[in-house]
Amino acid sequence: GACSVSMSMTEIRAGFTAIKANIQSRDPIRTLSILSHPCSLHKVKSSDRCCITHQLFTFYVDKVFKHCRTEDSFVNRKISSIANSFLSVRRKLEQCREKNKCVCGEESTEKFKQILANYEGLNVTSAAMKSLGELDILLDWMEKS
Amino acid sequence: SGELYCSLPNPRNVHFESINMKNILHWSAPEGTGDGVLYKVKYAVYGVGKWIRKPECRNINRTWCDLSSETSDYEEQYYASVKAFLNGTCSDWMETTRFNPLTDTKIDPPMVSVSSTDRSISIILTAPEKWKRSPEEESMSLLQVYPGLQYNVSVFNKKTKKRWSFSISNNTLVVPWLEPGTAYCVSAQIHVTTPLLDSGFSKEHCITILKDK
Repeated sequence: GACSVSMSMTEIRAGFTAIKANIQSRDPIRTLSILSHPCSLHKVKSSDRCCITHQLFTFYVDKVFKHCRTEDSFVNRKISSIANSFLSVRRKLEQCREKNKCVCGEESTEKFKQILANYEGLNVTSAAMKSLGELDILLDWMEKS
Repeated sequence: SGELYCSLPNPRNVHFESINMKNILHWSAPEGTGDGVLYKVKYAVYGVGKWIRKPECRNINRTWCDLSSETSDYEEQYYASVKAFLNGTCSDWMETTRFNPLTDTKIDPPMVSVSSTDRSISIILTAPEKWKRSPEEESMSLLQVYPGLQYNVSVFNKKTKKRWSFSISNNTLVVPWLEPGTAYCVSAQIHVTTPLLDSGFSKEHCITILKDK
């Protein structure tokens, strides 16, 4: 059967909205995106959605949040709250994978490779801050259907 | 690119104002400049490597520019930028923050139609349409853009001054067991949970329940 994971998108969305302007203003690079170019999340087949979601939550937990400390304690608190939400969702997605309900097809593997290549094309701090600033791209895609 | 030395003060408060995804770039004139300032505008799709000039907003003296067409794909995000010119000198390019049409637009209230039968009121709600380039273009309801869109409906009894509120996902509501000879006023608001977007309330539509014969 399908993998179904409950998560509070509203809470994550509210946390991100509160720091969006601050985080995005730290990313001066307009011409590069981690998640949306050259290929867009919106083109992912529905059969690959679960795998891409799991890969992206793992990406954010392992490679993004830990490199996003700022001098602003309010922003840091919001980041850690979002990170905790991601951790709990990632755990649930992991359980789906263990039950073979979150299978990775070739397309999702290729797409995630592109995302990692975009990330590794920048220095760690810039790449992490840019990825965090693109959280709404991930949330928009997840909420679409 | 052969640009002049730019000593003119910069345009201020460059930002998008968006309603139902009709996306207009606005700005304020540079400080201390009177009439005669001209502007040009460019925009960029976030993550794509080039700025694109907007010909219809080149050498304009107004302080807005309609970029709805250029920013109509709400799966993308955008930047826009404005430069001012006066008496042979110019300002720097001044940019917006990153614009996400999906989360940064405002939504108009729904259309409300009210009818009454026996002792009940029937309410039909219609979500606004997304901006479109021309009347011939196929319409797209904001309901298609925001699958989680809901309606908050308020029904007000003008005699008792009592108000009921309902939150519904589909677009029709019947309110039964009402008092004959009493006027009821209905207004409604659109509520999207995530991303969090609320329209204002529509203006009130009042209707009186007929007295029993």
